[in-house]
Amino acid sequence: MTATNSFSTAPASPWRARLERPWVRWGLVALVVVLAIVVPLLLPEFANQTLARIGVFSVAVLGLNVVMGYAGQISLGQIFFVGLGAYVTAYGYNAGWNIVIVFVLACLIPAVVGMVVALAAARLGGLAIAMVTIALPIIGVPLAKRFSEVTGGSQGTSARFSAAPEWSGLYDDQWQLYLVILIGGATFMLTRNLVRGKYGRAFAIVKGNESVAASMGVSPYRYKVLAFTIASLIGGVSGFLYMVVIQYTSPETLNFGHSIELLASMVIGGAGSIIGSLIGGAWYVLVPQVTNIIDPNLTTVLQGAILLIVLFFLPNGFVSLPRLLRRIGRRDAPQRSAAEVPQHIEE
Amino acid sequence: MRMNRRRSRVASVVAGVGIVAVLVAGCSRGGAEPDGDGGAATASPGITDTTITLGMTTPLSGGTAGPGTCTVAGLEAYFGSVNAAGGIEFGDGKTRTVEIKALDDEYDPQKAKANYDQLKGSVFAMTAGLGTPTNRAWREAAIADEVPQVLIQTGDPLFSNTQESPWQLGFVPAYQNEGEAFGELLAGAGGEHKVAILSQNDDYGEGYVEGFKSAIEGADNIEIVKELTYEATDTAVDAQLTELAASDADVLFNAMSITPLVISSLQKMQEIGWLPSLFLPSNTSSPGAILEPGGAAALPAVYTVSFAKTPQSPAYAEDEDVVTFLSDLAEYADYPDVPAFPHCMWSYMIGATLEQVFTKMTEPTREDFMAQLRTISDFEAPLMLPGTSVDTTEDDQPAVSTVQVIKYNGKGYEPVDSWDE
Repeated sequence: MTATNSFSTAPASPWRARLERPWVRWGLVALVVVLAIVVPLLLPEFANQTLARIGVFSVAVLGLNVVMGYAGQISLGQIFFVGLGAYVTAYGYNAGWNIVIVFVLACLIPAVVGMVVALAAARLGGLAIAMVTIALPIIGVPLAKRFSEVTGGSQGTSARFSAAPEWSGLYDDQWQLYLVILIGGATFMLTRNLVRGKYGRAFAIVKGNESVAASMGVSPYRYKVLAFTIASLIGGVSGFLYMVVIQYTSPETLNFGHSIELLASMVIGGAGSIIGSLIGGAWYVLVPQVTNIIDPNLTTVLQGAILLIVLFFLPNGFVSLPRLLRRIGRRDAPQRSAAEVPQHIEE
Repeated sequence: MRMNRRRSRVASVVAGVGIVAVLVAGCSRGGAEPDGDGGAATASPGITDTTITLGMTTPLSGGTAGPGTCTVAGLEAYFGSVNAAGGIEFGDGKTRTVEIKALDDEYDPQKAKANYDQLKGSVFAMTAGLGTPTNRAWREAAIADEVPQVLIQTGDPLFSNTQESPWQLGFVPAYQNEGEAFGELLAGAGGEHKVAILSQNDDYGEGYVEGFKSAIEGADNIEIVKELTYEATDTAVDAQLTELAASDADVLFNAMSITPLVISSLQKMQEIGWLPSLFLPSNTSSPGAILEPGGAAALPAVYTVSFAKTPQSPAYAEDEDVVTFLSDLAEYADYPDVPAFPHCMWSYMIGATLEQVFTKMTEPTREDFMAQLRTISDFEAPLMLPGTSVDTTEDDQPAVSTVQVIKYNGKGYEPVDSWDE
């Protein structure tokens, strides 16, 4: 199975060729930036709030993608790091610390915890890592309830720091969406550069075959720990954004069921894909809302049904939709080329 | 040549993006902004001359789906029958029918807030939702947006404090009230008793224990010999029960909100041969769903507190309130079975209380609603036990703060006034 080669002579489609031209790419980037600035000013409040929530969970799914999609290690504890980041944010804000310091801590503390867990867990084989990560949210919930002076106990804590400042003239929901776009966008850009660079290539080899990786001088243990730490760091960022948008956290944030939902969202979006993380975040937020509109009494049944249907047609996630459409499109094409070829053979 | 082509490309990209930006920025943000509160008579959202819409966010799937579905069913049953009779005549002279929009939050605070964001522009008030973290998640947003979050089904005292929560009001008694009622009964007992306490590790369990302890303070005949906790996510409390049995207590105060755990505790206690008198909280005391499967008849006494008549009890089989309630549930709420959870009854009472507030409202505004809400006193809603009533005038107390201690008699519950009955 050859790796995809960006130096292939024939582009996969005419669109790919156009995209590779730099000025088209810069134009698209500029367009996206302009839309990101202007759209929050136009949309109604509920749409902005929904987009902000999608941003929060896209970042969480991105973190999961780094460790599961790119490095191939099963992690069922991502929601623990999101919750930890949210709690650090709430505690820091309520203690009166500067919000920038709170943000930095919300990134660092989950990263340190993730690294410590990974130093132990990465020594184990594949499924054992999954079991260790399952323990994280399961332990996290009672811990959050017991340390009630720090966490507010089972009633949770509120931290409202994302009200729009006077000088901006914006509504709260617009300000929150801008914060999410800014911080989430930066996280996406940094992660994209990471996985396209040497670390991304190392992750791919570790995912593919650990013995080959070791023989090439890429230590699987080191890179697994690195992947976990980065995933936890991104989870902490997502936790900070969670507090920006939802402004409340409780032990329910760390519920193990959410880890499974994040995993499903990642698979539906597309494992090992940056855009897939965005789609996964949208899935996580929108599907419960859509099923609520259809019938509030049957939400989880409908969610399961939709999940099955989507996975049946798109086992590699929504990211593989263009490929699927192209394949369907190409089924009509062979008749033409079959008609052309015999002329050459007869000559 | 190449430089010119390149420059013209850059220029066309910038021009294209600029045109898009100007076009898009020329439009202004569409109308859905909250309030703007001009003048006293401008109606709040969710109310017209002929209808008023109430919103609910409550768990309709997951572990708390049973009680959550009941919260919707009770409200729909009450207002279904009221609508069928023509609607409610409000204090401003208009007769309106009541519509209910309920959304599932899966007991996830993030989804509860999303549901609130979705509903707040189109409903008059939010009500009857179940769950402490789910209600807390959007409490501050409701205060900021001035949307009523009233008669919600959580025993958390924060919602009834007018200073901290001006747009909120709890309906059910606080956990402390329930624990206190049982403590008072026990403290008035003739003989000496040793009490073992098993409580859930969260605000629910802590509230019950706090109320209980405050009521037995100073009572010399009552001694707490052992106190243990468990997590709401535990699958069994066998270890705690074995340890508590060794303390030789004759009363067990069990502040547990998880139905399967209560049943397994009852079974375990019989297995190890420890048969104390038992106290259970009001929402996990159902005879049909909990006591019978657990075999509670083997215990000398099972107490709980209630302010609602239980339909399963044969004493209330002929009661007019109960018969009407069950037929309303079946007809308007699509709930044909006898409810196993008290939340159906509580929602029914919430409907009756809201009707009282609506008849007093003179303006179709949320402000007037909140003002009138706090004026109900001594209202005996249908299904309330004698001796209990709705009173919203007391600051720091939920709408129902009086409860009656009731004792299991093998088939249902009956009120008791003292321990030694």
